[in-house]
Amino acid sequence: MITTPAVPLTASVYSLLAFFFQFLDSFGFIVLATVGLAIIFGMMGVINLAHGEFILIGVYGTALPYHAGVPLPAAMVVGVLVTTVFGVVIERTIVHRFYDRLLDSMVATWGLALIISQGLLIVFGSSLDSISTPLGNIGYGPFSSSIYSKIVLPLIALLVLGGLYLLFTRTNFGIKARATIEDPETARAMGIDTDRMYVATFAIGSALAGLTGALYAPALGSITPNRGSTFLVEAFVAVVVGGPSVIIGTLTASGVLGVFNAAGSILFGTFIGQMFLLMVAIVALRVLPSGISGYIDHWQQRRRADE
Amino acid sequence: MSDNGLAETASLDRIRGWLEGPNTYGNSLPFWGAFVVGVVALAAYPQLVGVYTTIQSARYFALAFLALSLCFIWGYAGILSFGQVAFFGVAAYAFGIIGLNFSSATGIMAGLVGAVVVGTAAAAIVGYFMFYGGVRDTYVTIMTLVIALVLNTFMAQTAGSEWAIGAAQLGGFNGMDIPSLTLGVGQTGFELERAALYYTLLGALVVTYLGLRVLVNSRFGLTMVAIREDEARTETFGYNVPFVKLVVFTVGGALAAVGGVFYGSWGNYIDPTVFGIAFAALPVVWVSVGGRESLLGAIGATVLIERMRTELSSGIGPIGSEWALVIVGGLLLGVILFMPAGVVPTVADKIETFRARRSEKGQSTPPTEEAVE
Amino acid sequence: MTHESISRRAVLGAGATALGMSVAGCSGDGGGGGGGGGGPTVGILEDRSGNFQLNGTSKWQATRLAIEEINESGGLLGEEIEIVDPDPQSDNSRYQELTERLILQDEVDALWAGYSSATREAIRPIINENDQLYFYTTQYEGGVCDSTIFPVGATARQQLGIVTPYLADEFGDDIYIIAADYNFGQLSGDWVNVLAQENGYNIVGEEYIPLSETDFSSVINRIQEADPDFIMSMLVGANHENFYNQRATNDMEDIPIGTSTAMAQGHEHIRYDPPALTNVYAGVSYMEELGDLREGENFVEDFYDRWEDANYLNQEAQNNYFSVYLWAEAVREAETFDQQEVISVLEEGQDISAPSGSLTLDGATHHMEHEMRVAEADEEHEISFTNNERIGPSFLRSEVEGGDGCDLREEDKTTQYVPSDVYDV
Repeated sequence: MITTPAVPLTASVYSLLAFFFQFLDSFGFIVLATVGLAIIFGMMGVINLAHGEFILIGVYGTALPYHAGVPLPAAMVVGVLVTTVFGVVIERTIVHRFYDRLLDSMVATWGLALIISQGLLIVFGSSLDSISTPLGNIGYGPFSSSIYSKIVLPLIALLVLGGLYLLFTRTNFGIKARATIEDPETARAMGIDTDRMYVATFAIGSALAGLTGALYAPALGSITPNRGSTFLVEAFVAVVVGGPSVIIGTLTASGVLGVFNAAGSILFGTFIGQMFLLMVAIVALRVLPSGISGYIDHWQQRRRADE
Repeated sequence: MSDNGLAETASLDRIRGWLEGPNTYGNSLPFWGAFVVGVVALAAYPQLVGVYTTIQSARYFALAFLALSLCFIWGYAGILSFGQVAFFGVAAYAFGIIGLNFSSATGIMAGLVGAVVVGTAAAAIVGYFMFYGGVRDTYVTIMTLVIALVLNTFMAQTAGSEWAIGAAQLGGFNGMDIPSLTLGVGQTGFELERAALYYTLLGALVVTYLGLRVLVNSRFGLTMVAIREDEARTETFGYNVPFVKLVVFTVGGALAAVGGVFYGSWGNYIDPTVFGIAFAALPVVWVSVGGRESLLGAIGATVLIERMRTELSSGIGPIGSEWALVIVGGLLLGVILFMPAGVVPTVADKIETFRARRSEKGQSTPPTEEAVE
Repeated sequence: MTHESISRRAVLGAGATALGMSVAGCSGDGGGGGGGGGGPTVGILEDRSGNFQLNGTSKWQATRLAIEEINESGGLLGEEIEIVDPDPQSDNSRYQELTERLILQDEVDALWAGYSSATREAIRPIINENDQLYFYTTQYEGGVCDSTIFPVGATARQQLGIVTPYLADEFGDDIYIIAADYNFGQLSGDWVNVLAQENGYNIVGEEYIPLSETDFSSVINRIQEADPDFIMSMLVGANHENFYNQRATNDMEDIPIGTSTAMAQGHEHIRYDPPALTNVYAGVSYMEELGDLREGENFVEDFYDRWEDANYLNQEAQNNYFSVYLWAEAVREAETFDQQEVISVLEEGQDISAPSGSLTLDGATHHMEHEMRVAEADEEHEISFTNNERIGPSFLRSEVEGGDGCDLREEDKTTQYVPSDVYDV
């Protein structure tokens, strides 16, 4: 039964704060889940359906050293490194053949996802011991919220977006990358090694996926090989709602989806929160077929044309 | 040759003309000969093997409809949908709901029709929503997958007794019982079980296959392929592309719906995992491996891959059951990398090249001088 | 001859058909005779791969252990029991296929199959069609009344019935219910409501969470506002375990949690650091930490001797174990393997000495009278047992059908009753 919770939060400053923290949590989660996928999609148009499994490799890459005694921050670094290396290998062997065959890339990466998740199951068993969430909680009124998932992770999410912005606008690499996205032919004609660009971008995307996995390893609860799907659905929904621009797209999509998800969860319960997220995605896809940033681009172009 | 013989070959040729064309493999008399032999062999099959294998094969036939539905819309019109299972599942549930409420033979037959109508209508609605809204390519794939997942989440929580339509409890995660397909009128009916179900599905599959061949080789089929190749250009030629895509998607939905009714009736059961991500990806695997543009390839790949997965439960030699999905994933990846068109088209092309090269070598005179008889 | 007359497609077409048929025909059954002719055969369909590997492997191991023990001490009716145990891979379609095979081809005399209720329901039409003797051993929502099915796991009513009153007596009457949003969870929630009605407890909050949800922060906020005396948690699955993690992060271990799902099945108290499972009270019929209550027997030791790499010995595995002996006893009494005869013997009622205590099979309802306990996890996640009580299947015995109960000795049935059939929930 879709029962609304018997105790909806009574309106108060504290419950508003609770809603705000819930939104930050959702927002941070969607940004971090999405950004690795968005870079690869924005740059190469490839939708990596193994993205959830990449994140999972980050999780396992963190959990295994941690349970072997490595302190958590160092274990997280290991997780990121492992995923980056893995990503580069996959790009060189598989993904680079699909830059002109986008639908096929979805199918190929789906096959890859199956192999990775089942491979992890076979090698590491059905579950790893879990990692407790660090940093405890912050209390306010009758409520409390986890500092790690409600404050630290959203902050890191914003930092990542900020860092990507700087990377793409202020560095040489960023300018070359944007040129390659705009017009690969011209970029090549101007001497940019587009092949290297693609590898580098895929490496960054994998590193970000690994970062997400590493960061969420202590916040997932159980660590099992099928957890990849926890991230995948929200990630690719956010990517298509966000559209081709990595930063604006991810930011706006995470914002919109995060608000609806949080509102649904707080007001009606987690089921409605999930349904809200999925329904908003369907509506957004229909109303803005190129995503939010696609629409913004289009609107800006029209304005420029008018002037 | 007598006049009768001429007339016969003429009408045979005309039928072949409908069935054959550039969009299907197998456009020769020997092919049809082999096809007839194959169908007869499949018809004799239950007499040669045990009941269990017959039942198992019937299940594969039901799934083949799902494969055909994706092959039709993806291979020929370029619409990759991860959501065909949505229409498959909706039809199965609809059949169950109608069949449980009207349990007479007429009721169940009405259920069959009704369920296909419901599934087709669902596809039409989704298709309209997407194609008239300008959603395309990868976004279509994602939207269809999201729709399947929405159904999955929603149906899993329909467990309470308030989730009933008439006498049919939706059952939530535990699924719903579905009556067997029955042929008949009023209260007397012949339940299609075991061999009877096998023959019904085999017949339906053959008829559907032939029908799809005709459709795909017709002008409509050529339009589909044109849209797949270059949508913008097709539009400039005056074709109503959204409408064509809508029709294609609806036909695909109808095929999936038929499969759903058969599948639900086979196991007398349906549950929300039919909308889940694992099952949604299976048609993509079957069609990718079998051959996107080969209807027969899609059917064959479904049977072989599902057969392999069942056998892996008991292990095949040293390969244990836990490798089942790794093998499926590897198969998918391998095919997409090395045989992107799928097994049947790639093999067919290889044989073609081989024979062309062989005939070149064997020639010392230009082809026009070769004897025709 | 022209190029057109011999077509490679013809070769392809014929080849593909032939290949398909030969592979499909490779099933090894030559029209009828499976393993049924010779000695007794049992089927075990438990997940050793896929999503339910964690729970299914333990069940498979325990079932095999029991049968191997019987074979070692001379077999059953002088014959060695053969085992057919393919892996259904946590996939209900696989279960359907394999059940058909085990029944039609291998002609098993008894079947142990399935972890989740959905699996049981998926194969039920096949079981009913073939009147197959089937032991369903996972603790579940209860209410199945079916002529050939013996659900020997503890029901929600039994599990909740031992732990809820205990916690209410200890801590107070205000209860917050959180449960997985599907049949088992919702029906368990109904049962807590029934117990609340019967005993005068207060349900201050009730929530159902989708199986795929990992984030419980909004749930936790609502619990904090409601400030219950204890929480009843019927959360299920890997995703839901994060509740216990987040509970620890939010310093909520002071609010006790009663559960019918945590610890005994997925051994969270071993996989999570304290205080995630501190102050959690599970209503169980058995846990590995209980050991073996039979004189001179050591089930846990025997289990780990046989299966060195086993993860944990969970509650349902013990059910698998004793139900094998239950069946063996009935076969000896019936002096035949014929399924209907064995069922008739079972329906006369059966006592069995199991690691969890002396249990009784209630013949009329096909369910067990279990020795129920409360298992408490302390600050170090050490388990202690209290409040041992024998609880029978009262719902089916004397509550449904207006008090007449469900008596499978009198009539053939294939139904499942739910709390709302009898109570106002």
